[in-house]
Amino acid sequence: MADNQNRNGVAHDNGSHEEHFREKHLMLDPMPRGKMNEMVMDAMHTTSWKFWLVFGMLAALVAYALFYKWGVMILEGLGVAGVNRPAYWGIFLVNTVFWIGISHAGTFISAILRVFKAEYRRPFTRAAELMTTFGLIQAGFSIFMHMGRVWLSYWLMPIPNQRELWPNFHSPLSWDLLAITTYLLGSTMYLFLPLIPDLAMARDRSDGWRKTFYKVLALGFRGTEGEWVHLRNAMNIFAFAIIPVMFSVHTIVSWDFAMATRPGWSSTVFGPYFVIGALHSGMGAVVMVLAVVRGTMKNMKYFIRPEHFEAIGKLMLIISMSWGYFFFNDYLVQWYGGDKWTKQLLHWHEAGPMGWMWFAMLLFNVVIPWGVLWNRKWRSMPWLLFTVGLLINVGMWFERYIIIPISLTINRMPFTWRLYEPGIEVWLGIGTLAFFILLYMAASKLIPLIPVWEVQEGQMAHSLKKFGRETVVTVSELE
Amino acid sequence: MTAEEKSILAVFADIDPAADAIEQLRLLGVHDDCMNVISGIPVTEAMLGRPSQWTNVPRLALGGAIAGFLVGVFLSFITPDMYTILVGGQPFTPVPPAVIVVFEMTMLGMLLSTFLGVFLDSYFPSYRPMKYIPEISDGKIAILIECPPPDEQKVTDLLKKLGAESVQLTEAQHL
Repeated sequence: MADNQNRNGVAHDNGSHEEHFREKHLMLDPMPRGKMNEMVMDAMHTTSWKFWLVFGMLAALVAYALFYKWGVMILEGLGVAGVNRPAYWGIFLVNTVFWIGISHAGTFISAILRVFKAEYRRPFTRAAELMTTFGLIQAGFSIFMHMGRVWLSYWLMPIPNQRELWPNFHSPLSWDLLAITTYLLGSTMYLFLPLIPDLAMARDRSDGWRKTFYKVLALGFRGTEGEWVHLRNAMNIFAFAIIPVMFSVHTIVSWDFAMATRPGWSSTVFGPYFVIGALHSGMGAVVMVLAVVRGTMKNMKYFIRPEHFEAIGKLMLIISMSWGYFFFNDYLVQWYGGDKWTKQLLHWHEAGPMGWMWFAMLLFNVVIPWGVLWNRKWRSMPWLLFTVGLLINVGMWFERYIIIPISLTINRMPFTWRLYEPGIEVWLGIGTLAFFILLYMAASKLIPLIPVWEVQEGQMAHSLKKFGRETVVTVSELE
Repeated sequence: MTAEEKSILAVFADIDPAADAIEQLRLLGVHDDCMNVISGIPVTEAMLGRPSQWTNVPRLALGGAIAGFLVGVFLSFITPDMYTILVGGQPFTPVPPAVIVVFEMTMLGMLLSTFLGVFLDSYFPSYRPMKYIPEISDGKIAILIECPPPDEQKVTDLLKKLGAESVQLTEAQHL
């Protein structure tokens, strides 16, 4: 084989081959740290009129759909919502499960990929972690809406009431409170710790109110040996500890349903099925966020490249297959179980008036992802991944809608059968979505979305090495 | 050393010259305790030939996990006995649901104490004046040296010879 041919016999010279690597991989395309800092700060400070237009519209939508409508519901009572016998759990709970699902991808991407030292994670861990915190806030809103008398929500807290009774810790709803609180606090702290060095970087490059803002949040971080050691240790502990918490949260959410002896809900596979479903929608949301950040924010094309979409696309494909497996497992066992009511329910899912949703769910969650993501070229296209991510999220929302209000329609008392018709909760759901995007937009202008120090660390660890005629990428273990 | 006293701050562009400088400073008689490395990315002690840094974070995490475990045990096993109501003949303190409560509280205790551990060990938040230059967050590596005034010139010359980008006497200032 000639010197300038690779093992596939394709002619190239080493210079262009290395250039190709650099174009493709962020870790092999280093820039001076100062330049990267400048790019990230520039991305935060550059705000077009379009941004403010969208921001203003979302703020108005949040004010109307979330706060005004919620106020109406508090004043009028839960009667303005569509929840009624037999579907007492409607869109509020659908949204709760949906938002907790969205929150899973942040931890999955950040913690699991950190533990397994997947290097491609570096530029987008923070963008994913932000989704966790903001998603959990929306999940919290949805639960409080579902409560109706939200001012009594402190009854869930582990404090005794006036009759000296403590909350019932044998109830999945109490487990929910403990798990979601742990996850919200844990993921917020996990977001904040690696952010401290970047806040210090922003402090060093800001003035006016921003300087004060970053100075307070950076806590006086300078980057001494001790500070890095404490931070590193804490981040490692968090990366390992937050993973079981993440799994526990959605498992416990699934037990809200599975612990009941209702047809369609009482399933031992619900725990892992919900966890995989959460990752499915969460990964779809991450890829959407990354595509928007890359497409709309200045300098982001350098940090977020097709290689990242390609890598996340592979994960999405695996997760989509796993979701298909668990869905089939859950379906098959219940169908084979032979319980008359469960069979009727499963038939109702696909042949009832909401059957279109059941088929759309399978189309969006399985058929389209499998059809697109197997192809490396396709899964490297940000706009295509955005579309697939969007469809997966619609499909996963449908899945939760089928599990909750549609499954509640059919029960063992036929005289109560009635199709759920949502009321004010549609507006409230739109409000949570708008609030999530609004928070994300605000955060994108206030905190560095790219963990610059982690990117620089990764770039230091990567190099090209020649083995015979082939140039390959090598990674050093710096920790 | 008080905040008003000055220290020598040498800035290096890379790890290798910084590691060489630390070694030479040690040979010159500057003790490790009189040096501190400040960097924009985590550089391990092994890379710089520095003694290992002590951290209490893992111990605090363990302590927090134990405290959280005890809170979980209290909530699961003690509170039901404080005002007993028999419901359908069910046991007051069944173990399987208690496992969930104990697990969540243990993890919460561990995560909170780990987070607080960083604050305690790093003396965060600290808004008093400190010796620092903003170039460090541009990826530079700085060595902060506390040495007696008679040795300052000798140390400065050595650091310049070893490739320091800048060597300056610095005093604490607001970040």
